[in-house]
Amino acid sequence: MNISKLLLSFILSITLLTQTSWAQIASTEAIFKQAETLSSKDKIIQFTARQDVAKILVQMDVEPTMIKDRVAAMTDEEASKFANEIDTMPAGGDAVGALVGAVVFIFVVLLITDILGLTKVFDFTRTVR
Amino acid sequence: MKGNFHIHLLLALATLLIYSGCASKEPLLSTEHDTSSSIKVPFVAPRSDLCGSTSIEMVSSYWQSITPYTPRLSQKELDARTLIPAKGGTLQVELMATARANGLLAYTIPPTFDALLHELEKQHPVIVLLNRGYSWYPLWHYAPAVGYNKKDQTILMHFSDRPNEAINIATFKRLWERSGNWGVVLLPPEYLPVSASPKAFLRSAYDLEKTGMRDNAIIAYKSALQRWPKDIDILFALANAYHHSNKFTAAEKYYRKLLSIEPLNPLALNNLSDLLCHIGRQNEAMATIKKADSDNIEIQSIINATQKKILNGCTLQASPKK
Repeated sequence: MNISKLLLSFILSITLLTQTSWAQIASTEAIFKQAETLSSKDKIIQFTARQDVAKILVQMDVEPTMIKDRVAAMTDEEASKFANEIDTMPAGGDAVGALVGAVVFIFVVLLITDILGLTKVFDFTRTVR
Repeated sequence: MKGNFHIHLLLALATLLIYSGCASKEPLLSTEHDTSSSIKVPFVAPRSDLCGSTSIEMVSSYWQSITPYTPRLSQKELDARTLIPAKGGTLQVELMATARANGLLAYTIPPTFDALLHELEKQHPVIVLLNRGYSWYPLWHYAPAVGYNKKDQTILMHFSDRPNEAINIATFKRLWERSGNWGVVLLPPEYLPVSASPKAFLRSAYDLEKTGMRDNAIIAYKSALQRWPKDIDILFALANAYHHSNKFTAAEKYYRKLLSIEPLNPLALNNLSDLLCHIGRQNEAMATIKKADSDNIEIQSIINATQKKILNGCTLQASPKK
């Protein structure tokens, strides 16, 4: 699935406008940060984080029409976390279906250990050793 | 040879059983909590890979059933915003983000069993992340905890295809531990989590504001002020939110309230000056900004800019940008 650069930049221009404040007055953000305002470097990092999130969502088969809303719904912190930790973050899914997966998984493990000669669970396997 | 394998298997199982039996001996439920709690959360049947979405749906319809709150997203939208097909589930950040988009404040509770019980006691359902498998073979699952029963030592959950499933507390603790005891309460902005600290709650409320729901955030700041009336940070956030929505009278009121507690707070002095300047009270603005002073270079540079603006007759810019 491909998404045009135009769409990406459109998404980002919108999300950027709705988020990071460029205001003259001291932002509420100051309460949470040591530094008073965001430096332009921070802004660029957050911009890239959102760009990364959009790309990851595309790669992970998320419906393209939803990507703009999903990126916009995240705070800067959430977008950075998403972009940096996507590979290790848990994704809560089914309550039942995955159990079948577990059984298959254990079967495969035992099958492999059988083949390696570490176990002898199944009669139909012959060790490679 | 086959018999040998069985013996090993038996030994392994026995070890597992013994290990499982060694869970904490301390009382599972301390005496400070009520004996039981059961929250009437409407049950939603599971949909494949969508426990994140159904959990939000269940908690949202609970609040809808007892408060004027109305969900902003349809079931279809909840599904489309939470599922990552390639992951077969929902990430925590997107669960939080979607709950906010649905008009609720999302607050991560402190990672303790006690905090969980406190929320349940107060009739706040808690969405928990559980690992039903092991760390080396995780089966992640979200479900709302909707009550507990001290006598039976159980937690009530809309865990899967049955409502109010009673789960043994020792089992629950083991599954929950594997997610680092992650749990989140979703609340209409008028409600405060039992376990909230001012700063952590303010963060959740400000997250609403940052993601385009300033009106909800204002409600949340105000309810926080009822619990912590003299909290400088909350006063500042509320005043700023009014300022950004061009509600200058209300904004001025809360900047002044903050300054009555901390008269030389440079951020409040600066923003109040900016506001006064904007509504044409230039002399007052000048008198206010003159009191502002900070060791922090960045804050000081903002103060200088505001001062310059006032000197220029407040014409440099119109309203503060959002």
